[in-house]
Amino acid sequence: MADEHEPSSVDRRKFLKVVGVTGVGAAVLTGCSTDKVEKLVPYLVQSEQQVPGVATWYASTCTECSTGCGLAVKTREARPIKLEGNAEHPINAGTLCSRGQAGLQGLYNPDRLTGPMARNAAGGFDPISWDDAIARLASKVGSASGKFAAINGYGPSTFSTLMAQWVASAGGTLVPWEPFAREAERKANERTWGRSDLPTYDFANAKHIVSFGADFLETWGPVVEQQRGFAASHGFHDGTMSKHVFVGPRLSLTAANADEWLNVPAGSEALVALAMAQVVAARGGGALAGSLAAYAPEQVAQATGLSAAQLTALGEAFAAAQPSLAVAGGIAAQHRGAIDLCHAVNLLNEAAGNVGKTVRFGAGPAAGSGYGEVLALFESMRSGQLQVVLVHEANPLYALPQSGKFAEAFAKVPYKVSTAAILDETAAACDLLLPNLHALERWDDLRPRAGVSGLLQPVVEPVFKGMHTGDVVLRAGKGVAAMPASASFEAHLKEEWQKSAPAGDFDSYWRASLGRGGVYAAAPAATVSLAGGASQLTVTAPTFDGDGEFVFMPYPSSMYHDGRGSNKPWLLENPDPITKITWQSWVEVHPETAERIDVREGEIVELASPHGTIRAQVYVYAGVRKDVLAMPMGLGHTEYGRYAKGRGVNALDLLGAADGQGFLPYVSTRVSVKTTGDYRKVARTDGNPRQLGRGIIEAMPLAYAAKGMTPEEAMKSEGNPAHEVNTPKEAAAIAGWYESQTERTKLGNYAGEHPKWGMAVDLSRCTGCSACVTACYAENNIATVGEEQIFKGRELSWLRIERYWEGGEHGEPLEARFSPVMCQHCDNAPCEPVCPVYASYHTPDGLNGQVYNRCVGTRYCSNNCPFKVRYFNWLRYSEVAWPEPLNLQLNPEVTVRARGVMEKCTFCVQRIRGAQNTAKLEDRTVRDGEIQPACAQACPSGALAFGNVHDPESTVVKWKRDPRGYVMLEETNVRPAVTYLAKVLHRDPVTAPAAGEH
Amino acid sequence: MHKRFVPGIGIAMTVTALMFVTTHPAVAQKPATGPAPLTASDSASLKGPRQPIFFRHDIHAGQLKMQCQYCHYSVGVSSEPGIPSMQTCMGCHIAVGGKSDANKAEIKKLKEAWSAKKPIEWVRVHTVARHVHFPHMRHIKALGPAACATCHGNVARMSQVYKVNNVNNMGFCISCHIERKVSRDCTVCHY
Repeated sequence: MADEHEPSSVDRRKFLKVVGVTGVGAAVLTGCSTDKVEKLVPYLVQSEQQVPGVATWYASTCTECSTGCGLAVKTREARPIKLEGNAEHPINAGTLCSRGQAGLQGLYNPDRLTGPMARNAAGGFDPISWDDAIARLASKVGSASGKFAAINGYGPSTFSTLMAQWVASAGGTLVPWEPFAREAERKANERTWGRSDLPTYDFANAKHIVSFGADFLETWGPVVEQQRGFAASHGFHDGTMSKHVFVGPRLSLTAANADEWLNVPAGSEALVALAMAQVVAARGGGALAGSLAAYAPEQVAQATGLSAAQLTALGEAFAAAQPSLAVAGGIAAQHRGAIDLCHAVNLLNEAAGNVGKTVRFGAGPAAGSGYGEVLALFESMRSGQLQVVLVHEANPLYALPQSGKFAEAFAKVPYKVSTAAILDETAAACDLLLPNLHALERWDDLRPRAGVSGLLQPVVEPVFKGMHTGDVVLRAGKGVAAMPASASFEAHLKEEWQKSAPAGDFDSYWRASLGRGGVYAAAPAATVSLAGGASQLTVTAPTFDGDGEFVFMPYPSSMYHDGRGSNKPWLLENPDPITKITWQSWVEVHPETAERIDVREGEIVELASPHGTIRAQVYVYAGVRKDVLAMPMGLGHTEYGRYAKGRGVNALDLLGAADGQGFLPYVSTRVSVKTTGDYRKVARTDGNPRQLGRGIIEAMPLAYAAKGMTPEEAMKSEGNPAHEVNTPKEAAAIAGWYESQTERTKLGNYAGEHPKWGMAVDLSRCTGCSACVTACYAENNIATVGEEQIFKGRELSWLRIERYWEGGEHGEPLEARFSPVMCQHCDNAPCEPVCPVYASYHTPDGLNGQVYNRCVGTRYCSNNCPFKVRYFNWLRYSEVAWPEPLNLQLNPEVTVRARGVMEKCTFCVQRIRGAQNTAKLEDRTVRDGEIQPACAQACPSGALAFGNVHDPESTVVKWKRDPRGYVMLEETNVRPAVTYLAKVLHRDPVTAPAAGEH
Repeated sequence: MHKRFVPGIGIAMTVTALMFVTTHPAVAQKPATGPAPLTASDSASLKGPRQPIFFRHDIHAGQLKMQCQYCHYSVGVSSEPGIPSMQTCMGCHIAVGGKSDANKAEIKKLKEAWSAKKPIEWVRVHTVARHVHFPHMRHIKALGPAACATCHGNVARMSQVYKVNNVNNMGFCISCHIERKVSRDCTVCHY
């Protein structure tokens, strides 16, 4: 931290401003020596909001996608160190996804531009002053005489209105940009109900959920809110749970959380929806039944590959569970029939009477413009009609298919301006760079839906010399009559908010709004009715470009989203929830297909479509149709900083750029495959994908869970042999041994009353989304190790999501099981007795302690751990994982581990000690729920409970009493402190041996 | 965990940074017995590192009987005791200019730094290793507001602060914890 010898891109003065004070600072642990003299530099003026050593929290709004979740920003000594959800926010209610949490690595990204720059004669960039930069922008826009356009990727806000005003005042065109805009849904809604906005979906109250390619747990819609709702209904509660069916050619994370996956051919989803709608309507005697007669199950069974009986049963089940919910519109179903599909699903919801119940209009985000407008803009660039283009919060040269030759069109514009904070593909093609401030550095607001106005406030001095684009626009538009004369964007924002403020003191209203993170009101409810002719729908099979053997299905990565996440090490290192691949791109091939075309995992194949060719590593995956090749989007950048540049391939390179019907049809290409003979190891973090009878992630049918059976009883009832059990000799050796130790556990430091910390994990709520993993990295200063080290199995993820596959062979359905696995803090921990230096030991409050400064790195503990949750710090990761200023994200409450020590989950002991300290100062004991480890805090599903197991009233004890509770690897007699509650399946109980490996 | 939302911008003007510079040789010297008439040039012969301003704890805490927490304001609520901001110094020294020439000279340094908006870079005396978490507030809570001397010695009698106890020696911590029958668990401090 104090090493000032390295030439730093951070302005030194600013650097000092954001560096934290504190004796136990976040500096890298370099040893115990205090020989060096340190200096204590006081504040000139102490901020009343900051107490050294005590975190200050600010409310703000997340801008990592268009959802607009509320943030609680934890700062220490004026630097943000962790992003959590704002509990008061109506959308995310206190939790946050991985992408949102990783926004911190956007703030401190070492590749951020250091200031405004202009292209020089040699083709490079020269730094210029902000005054110069703004003068250049104003002069170019002024002399463009209306031949000016701007792309704005920021959502509905005061800023976007200002931007529109400025562009209009210059006679230019403003094109809104939204990654993965949901154009097909809007167009279908227009057809069905005559309105183009999007409804909100109430997953929490739906008793039967059918998704037609909509990845509502990953990238489609407000995923955190939807996941919370899904967990509420699909998590086992009160003896019941909702059923979830996924229809689509690929088993995505959302599909993996479904009770039934129907892998129909790409393009036939609409037929399934219509057949279901027909059944539902016929059952209820609705008018729709007649108009949909052509789509009765018997008519469409063949095209969908499902039997008429199956389709009828689907429809019957959907109608029987009231209210139900059907959703469609994910990118992986965005083929040329996507509007028909969304229309069909709308009819299905209408037929089942869900509209107004689980499908509610009124709050939906305002209508976006969509792909057609983007294409038109690039056409005008191509034909030389534009003199100046400004790109804000968008990277079209990466996010649009290469085959559209958008870069060529862009190059034809004489003067191009970018406000990107990091040199991305589009910025690299620009002439003037005006880096915007990060969301945590600026004043802003965001109105993601009706009723929700989120505020953003600067929580840190700008880390680099960026400038708020709002200020740039105000200064460039100075003197223009149509532009506000505000002195700064901050002033403008307040002026705008004042207009809608209630009568009374604005200042207190403003401060109260900032404290809450915005203003939240109930969304106005709108009633909708079927538009004329909406019930008449003619579905035509979508067409595909090319005549390759396979349908190519690119899907948005749950970590990288539209590609903006791929410069953040946390997201690169957090394994894909399904494949467990890190830092790489891959193409998913069905096992039978792989055998037929003779490829194995890691083999590099060449995919060719009429629009392009890419080379990618094979990942053999049973969760993709035999006639489909799937690939995640988000990698394959040619710019965008050290972490993203040159990593992986861009799936969009295979796509055509032609407009579908107002949207980019992502699934519209057929590809052929050619083997290349090249190989690259796949950087997977999972071990054996099968449980092999170890009973690590238990599951039981709903009927048994409803009866209050234990997983073991359920196993026996189904006639399955029990999991690995102790031999009689082992059992005799174990019997009574643990209990006999109690006297010995009351000696010395262990005497007296202590709490005992424990955890419970409800596997029927866990979706495997991995938000907890990112939270753990952020809270505990876990170093990211990179692809090469992951090849060697050296990742340090204290908390990992285990993903095991069941079935998938011999015609059995493929089933995924997810479980967070962290240190189990065993009472009878095998790691403790083998440590020669007592670095691993048991604390009086039931933790399995790990004392870094004692550890000498024998790794005996890790060898003896049956859960493999101890991670060895092999190299000087702490010196390379956080290049300046990324080191500013480090949590000063947690020691940064040096090379050669073992590290592992501590149950966030720093939070336990913090809560104990607070309680002691207030002369009380720690309250239940006061301590939340980072993983439990972040979980959008609420799948983790933590607390004192000696407190019979605590939530964790209530969870642990659930009959579904079990501990992993019970036969080892290690007595874990983590109880898992078995997953509950919508599978009919059988008496014969069930699917899987048991 | 208790969250405290603070509305508004909370940017400190200047924040303390940890920096490494060369070690200053400490010179042995008899402990002062009261506020002695010393000048900055005497400080070289006093125990403890020389400070950029010859700040006299023996005058402030001893003669004037100022509470430690007047300046070390967060010691009761935070792990960090808090180093007084320049504003705190100036709160008094805007009016107090010192009586002796020696004191006047030192206070002048402070005023100059204040008008130049340059914080004084004090030399740190007490440090614990970075894998140790020492919650000051717990110790103040348990031992009372005057307990500072337990570890820091009688600072009120020091013309220049020096180390009486090696606070970075775990034995020093543990002997007290054993004596007072409080936790000796490793993860109380090491995590």
